Amino acid sequence: MLPANPKVQRMLLLLGRLLLAGIFLAAGYLKLREPWLQFAVSLNSLKILPDNLLEPVSRILPWCEVALGIWILSGIWLRWSAALASLMLAVFFSVLVRSYAMGLQVDCGCFGSGEPLGPKTLARDALMLALAFCVTIAAFRMRAVRTARPPADDSHPSSLPSGTEQSRPA
Amino acid sequence: MRSLLLLLPAALLMTAQTPPSTGPTHKKSIPERKAAAVPVAKNFKLSGSPSAPITVEVYTDYECPSCRTLYMDVLPPLEAQYVATGKVQLLHRDFPLSQHQFSRIATKYANAAGQIGRYELVANQLFKTQADWSQNGNVDGTVAKVLPPGEMQKVRDLVKNDTHLDDTVTADLAMGARDNLNQTPTMVIVNKGKRQKIDGAVPFNILKSYLDQMLAKG
Repeated sequence: MLPANPKVQRMLLLLGRLLLAGIFLAAGYLKLREPWLQFAVSLNSLKILPDNLLEPVSRILPWCEVALGIWILSGIWLRWSAALASLMLAVFFSVLVRSYAMGLQVDCGCFGSGEPLGPKTLARDALMLALAFCVTIAAFRMRAVRTARPPADDSHPSSLPSGTEQSRPA
Repeated sequence: MRSLLLLLPAALLMTAQTPPSTGPTHKKSIPERKAAAVPVAKNFKLSGSPSAPITVEVYTDYECPSCRTLYMDVLPPLEAQYVATGKVQLLHRDFPLSQHQFSRIATKYANAAGQIGRYELVANQLFKTQADWSQNGNVDGTVAKVLPPGEMQKVRDLVKNDTHLDDTVTADLAMGARDNLNQTPTMVIVNKGKRQKIDGAVPFNILKSYLDQMLAKG
């Protein structure tokens, strides 16, 4: 699945990581620029949350997206941050597919308001989910390769792929 | 490298809005205007105290189902708890969508009824019976059910002869364009000269929480 050349692996993982971080940062930032009431209305139209959870979720979720974006960007414990991103995107995608299948005329709410849910938004979200999965798998595989190396290789941390935990606890 | 990368989102966040009522919401898309400068379509569409700290402008289309939900479920408690108590001034704005065949004529009837002091009654009737007249187009018959014959005749005359009946609609559509409206219903909450656009039908309990926070901030 991964290219044989370690440099290419490194570059691809870095690119995927930056892209994924950018997606989460943009999603959180654009929601935070609007009143939380707008995101609450989007969530309400999806009919997935009870009324008493609309306000806390619409207030907290954009900050969680920003935090996750920063975490992914930092590369610290990348496999876990990417796995969390995959999980979040899988949940968002399932909710949107469900809403679309139910025929709800709703706002996607993915990157702020004013974006109606449709095949285009679903395709874009599917691509984002695929990206998150790829980054997660790549991060786990690179970690496995690194831990499987003979001890002598560990003395050259500069040869490790960017985005894996060079000096971080496992 | 990592710390440089981390600086980017931090800088972005510094420009993001944190408090809901004071941040630069829609700053780029909606020019800030003073609440007092908001053109009022007609007095019959405006209710509440002029000294209310918040103005809620509601853009609706008589044929839109979500507007019906907003009108029937959200506006009555809003009027009772906030407009009647002087906390909020409520302004109805018309935003008939082109894809709705009978929306324009329904708007004409409601505004004509407004000229003779029957706006609330007719607007309520139109939203209540939306499912019927939006199918058969019988707006006249629908309105006639709630107005006495004399008043109904006045409304018909206004709809037929008043060339300025659509002036308020034109003004509302222009205002909607300035607010970057792309759907109905849309609420524009005006507080301290800032206009915050909220697309979609807002559940009342969430709106209440939002307004309470705004009012608490003064």
